[in-house]
Amino acid sequence: MSDTPTTPEALAAAQQAAAAAQRAVSASAPAPKVDRTHVVEESYIYEAPVRIWHWVNAFAILALSITGYLIASPLPSVPGEASDNFLMGYIRWIHFVAAYTVIIGFVFRIWWAIVGNSHAHEIFMPRIFSRQFWHGFWHEIKWYAFLTKEPEKFSGHNPLAVISMHFLFVWGIVFMIFTGLALYGEGTGMGSWQYEWFSAWLIPLFGQSQDVHTWHHMGMWVIIIFVMIHVYVAIREDIMSRQSIISSMISGWRMFKDNRTDTKE
Amino acid sequence: MHETFYEVMRRQGITRRSFLKYCSLAAAALGLGPSFAPTIAHAMETKPRIPVLWLHGLECTCCSESFIRSAHPLAKDVILSMISLDYDDTIMAAAGQQAEAIIEETIEKYDGNFILAVEGNAPLNQDGMSCIIAGKPFVEQLTHVSKHAKAIISWGSCASWGCVQAARPNPTRATPTHMVPGIADKPIIKVPGCPPIAEVMTAVITYILTFEKLPSLDRQGRPKMFYSQRIHDKCYRRPHFDAGQFVEEFDDEGAKKGYCLYKVGCKGPTTYNACSTIRWNGGLSFPIQAGHPCIGCSEDGFWDKGDFYERLTDIHGFGIEANADEIGGTAAKVVAGATAVHAGASVVKRVMQKGDAE
Amino acid sequence: MAIINTPNGFTLDTSGQRYVVDPITRIEGHMRIETNIDSDNIIRNAVSTGTMWRGLEVILKGRDPRDAWAFVQRICGVCTGTHALTSVRAVEDAVGIDIPENANSIRNIMQLSLQIHDHLVHFYHLHALDWVNPINAMKADPKATSALQQKISPHHPMSSPGYFRDVQTRVRKFLESGQLGPFKNGYWTNPAYKLPPEADLMALTHYLEALDFQKEIMTTRTIFGGKDTHPNWLVGGVPCAINIDGDLAAGAPINMERLNYVQGVVDRTITFIDNVYIPDILAIGSFYKTWLYGGGISGKSVLAYGDIPDKANDYSASNLMMPQGAIINGDLTKVHPIDLRDPEEIQEFAPHSWYKYEDDSKGLHPWDGTTVPNYDLGPNFKGTKTNIINLDENARYSWVKAPRWKGHAMEVGPLARYVVGYVQGHEEWTEQIKFVLKTLDLPVEALFSTLGRTAARAMEAQWAAHKQKYFLEKLIRTIKNGDSSTANMEKVDPKTWPSEIKGVGFSEAPRGALGHWIKIKNTRIDNYQCVVPSTWNASPRDNEGNIGAFEASLMNTKVERPEEPVEILRNIHSFDPCMACSTH
Ligand code: HEM
Ligand code: HEM
Ligand code: NFV
Ligand code: SF4
Ligand code: SF4
Ligand code: F3S
Ligand SMILES: [Mg+2]
Repeated sequence: MSDTPTTPEALAAAQQAAAAAQRAVSASAPAPKVDRTHVVEESYIYEAPVRIWHWVNAFAILALSITGYLIASPLPSVPGEASDNFLMGYIRWIHFVAAYTVIIGFVFRIWWAIVGNSHAHEIFMPRIFSRQFWHGFWHEIKWYAFLTKEPEKFSGHNPLAVISMHFLFVWGIVFMIFTGLALYGEGTGMGSWQYEWFSAWLIPLFGQSQDVHTWHHMGMWVIIIFVMIHVYVAIREDIMSRQSIISSMISGWRMFKDNRTDTKE
Repeated sequence: MHETFYEVMRRQGITRRSFLKYCSLAAAALGLGPSFAPTIAHAMETKPRIPVLWLHGLECTCCSESFIRSAHPLAKDVILSMISLDYDDTIMAAAGQQAEAIIEETIEKYDGNFILAVEGNAPLNQDGMSCIIAGKPFVEQLTHVSKHAKAIISWGSCASWGCVQAARPNPTRATPTHMVPGIADKPIIKVPGCPPIAEVMTAVITYILTFEKLPSLDRQGRPKMFYSQRIHDKCYRRPHFDAGQFVEEFDDEGAKKGYCLYKVGCKGPTTYNACSTIRWNGGLSFPIQAGHPCIGCSEDGFWDKGDFYERLTDIHGFGIEANADEIGGTAAKVVAGATAVHAGASVVKRVMQKGDAE
Repeated sequence: MAIINTPNGFTLDTSGQRYVVDPITRIEGHMRIETNIDSDNIIRNAVSTGTMWRGLEVILKGRDPRDAWAFVQRICGVCTGTHALTSVRAVEDAVGIDIPENANSIRNIMQLSLQIHDHLVHFYHLHALDWVNPINAMKADPKATSALQQKISPHHPMSSPGYFRDVQTRVRKFLESGQLGPFKNGYWTNPAYKLPPEADLMALTHYLEALDFQKEIMTTRTIFGGKDTHPNWLVGGVPCAINIDGDLAAGAPINMERLNYVQGVVDRTITFIDNVYIPDILAIGSFYKTWLYGGGISGKSVLAYGDIPDKANDYSASNLMMPQGAIINGDLTKVHPIDLRDPEEIQEFAPHSWYKYEDDSKGLHPWDGTTVPNYDLGPNFKGTKTNIINLDENARYSWVKAPRWKGHAMEVGPLARYVVGYVQGHEEWTEQIKFVLKTLDLPVEALFSTLGRTAARAMEAQWAAHKQKYFLEKLIRTIKNGDSSTANMEKVDPKTWPSEIKGVGFSEAPRGALGHWIKIKNTRIDNYQCVVPSTWNASPRDNEGNIGAFEASLMNTKVERPEEPVEILRNIHSFDPCMACSTH
């Protein structure tokens, strides 16, 4: 993809188109492309729905973090009549729209984890009972600690990424959705599903409403820290690993930069 | 709601004759003289006012003070015509053993048919003796009376949550009613607030009397009719909140215009109480209307959530006491720093590897 | 058995029979009195015990000084606000914050309304039943009550025979139900009650009238502080911004409508005190004027810190409308100046209190004060640790500490203030005292009694009601002159504070001299100590054996029936004890 889409809609459209094309390719048995210097393997990992979800989710979380921060520490007062202004109202509104985007997206993503390809459920169910998984995990740790020369190849996420995505992201988002809905239910009030399903038991569990706010706010920082590491690692691996990274989340394809097999498979 | 006194006596096999004799003895004992006996008998054959034993533990007595400020109904009318306030050490005429005797008398006559109202709470440290009644720990009086009550009202944040004396480090281990070891398994109605609004207090009582049932409670035991909404939901300054118009500092332009107090720490968005709807002292005002942020006085543990004038409240534990932005922001900075270092090291490594390869 | 002469001039004799009153009721909080009564029914030894403790001074450590007012306000809901006021003054003293003139006027109105309310409620709802017999009121002829009422208070409109008949009928119906509520098990046949039925009916009627009216007094605080009880305060001024005619004045805390409301309350309060409270005190007093027990140390050692600064920020004695000073050793010719910062003047001892001190023989100035619980009854008490039969006053016996001024046990409160004011020649007060003494035909010494204490409280309520008007007028005048500021937040931000500061705030609470001492380290409370009026009055003995004001007031009082503690209640109630305050 040469010209980068700039709006989410354009991005989504571009991705859909790319996905359709790739599905056609993958259906016709992907053969390794032979190159004169080395063999470049490819494998199709991130199906279009995952990729669309990833980017929609990323933008929604960006919006949630900005608006969430402003809910907690509002902008300087605006002049004029109260009835002529709705700044705080809009900020909260954006937060809630983005929140429902994340919620619906996440529910969808869980469904896709069940119906999608074998990589689709990686972050939900890390293969913690597999020796190979832990081998890969330690290898990645060593790789980041500069204790090994070369990373391994992974079709799909590397195990370290899976662990961090599972614990920081999956559970982080679950936490944000639950606490967020508990706070939302306070506004919709007793009798609303948000209140009855979330606020009613979550608020006493945390102590009181203020505590839910505080922990929801704390959750934001967990997500932010995840994203910081996640983005850094994505860029770094794109450069330093033996496989494509960022483009994989755009095209769905994982390209391996060499054809050596790993020593320990 | 319950049997008349006469019915109870008859059920226990007491004849009308000895009942009447009891009445004249009672008249004498009450210092009323024998001419009162027939009227006492009449009263005992009709439905009695529901007895209330109002016990006081560790407290500031502000809940009582709030109660007497009720405008509708007047406290006077509650005490003279609605309930029988048989024990309340703050206003009762009797003292010492004559006062304590009333508790046993009420239990005997109205077992299971009186209301236990609790103001303040019971300390468990110092052998319970940082609150002593008649030489014994208050917690004994409380658990004893609770076993015979029909229902318990926990007045105020003290009885409901623990309140100020239970604030960190809670030196007396002051314990709210529902968490007192040995408290009987009776319905507990929490009426939190420091203090609760007078008219809410009297409304809870009159509701029970008028509709002859306990109010419906939320999951935490508060009457839904007064505690189902936050101050913020019905605050008259809410349009300024939505508009983004805040008091930035006390007595600034915004303060004079009645802007929202969120930025000076208002806990209205997280506080369940009726202040912004029913308001205080006969509907005259409430803290926010007088320019002070809500401090969340009806919420569990509101003393320990950080400084009152800060919007973000503290997280405690792990030896930390800071708000989410302080903790999260610091962590993010650390991660950013670590990432930068790691990135630097990665560049060095790559350069060296390239060198190796060449 | 043992006879002890205390340094402050009392002879304690423990040979008589020991009587216990626990709980003392119709007070705030929890308290116990033990007395030894001789065969002539005279009290020869008295032991006063504060039976509750919550540890506010411990809880305050490490907190934001700007929040302290809210915590200490919860020391007491009866004298609600006075601790908060004292606290913001202490912080302002430590940091060096000046508050605007309007904040001073508003704080004074709030403090004065507390004086009025607390005194009124104390007299009618906590104290009256020591003097007034509601059962006896049923025998009254409403016409006679009406005549009495019109004689003692010609301007009070509620005085017709029909009105008193209605009240009597209502209360009779109440009593006839057999459910006596608060009147149950009272000492109604005790000969200590001396009022004729018509006076009993009048007082009982006003018990109910005052119960209705009292709530109105405090609505000034609802306007300025948002609620009562426990209104809101602010370090740096008051939170209620003033906007009289600007944009959005309707949504402002204080506007014209709010000021008018306050005006109405202030006026009605004056009327009620002038027409009901004062005449009642004089009428009831006239039937008890031979019962002059309970003076205790009021004629010997009294202390007042002073309060109600006329101009803002000047806490020197000359600017305080309530007087400041100490009288000791019964020398009524001299008022000693006091200094709350002097480590040698105010000190708290704890040899008989349930606290751990490094050295029980020494007192601590509040800036260096400590609060470490130590519940210990000594070897010679009777009963068990959780079922006390008799305390041993030679060991530790109270949750109250023993504050002393230069080693003297002092009485504080309305009587102490009026004595200091009288000696200093406080004009308005001297006039009131003379009027009361003349009406009751009593010599000035009669002031040093339970009756005098009760009368001083009423006079003070009256004075305070009129002073409220003064400050409301001043508030309006200042606004008129173009100054409507209510808070000075310049130095309130803790980030601007030096790393170690300390301050003291004081006020005259309804029950007497109140001081808060604060030490601030790195913007947090390092030490916070309160020495509270009821701490002074309910004080247990000190290391020298001086007894406190409560114990002293019981000495040599004759009781009609030792098992019916009417007289004990009378003397103790005359101080308006607040035990939540005293131990905090
Ligand atoms: C709020 C921001 C973001 C969040 C919450 C987020 C979350 C995630 C999650 C949960 C996955 C796993 C997808 C799956 O297997 O289901 C993922 C993968 C990925 N994300 Fe993000 N992401 C964010 C932003 C970004 C950005 C800005 C980039 C690009 C610089 C990026 C690049 C990637 C890549 C390359 C992968 C695939 C990684 C791999 O194959 O191991 N993400 N992201
Ligand atoms: C990554 C996801 C999210 C982030 C980073 C985030 C961030 C924040 C932050 C920082 C606040 C301010 C908390 C405070 O009072 O200190 C906030 C408030 C809130 N959030 Fe979220 N949030 C997220 C997801 C959600 C979700 C899924 C919902 C569900 C509806 C939600 C609903 C709310 C609500 C109702 C508030 C309170 C608004 C108010 O007090 O006016 N949030 N959020
Ligand atoms: N003693 C005392 Fe208080 C008063 N007045 C306060 O300082 O009562 Ni609760
Ligand atoms: S809840 Fe608050 S107002 Fe009520 S007694 Fe406790 S401290 Fe006082
Ligand atoms: S003042 Fe408080 S309760 Fe009112 S709108 Fe603002 S934040 Fe909400
Ligand atoms: S502080 Fe309390 S009184 Fe109401 S407005 Fe807030 S709950
Ligand atoms: Mg103290």
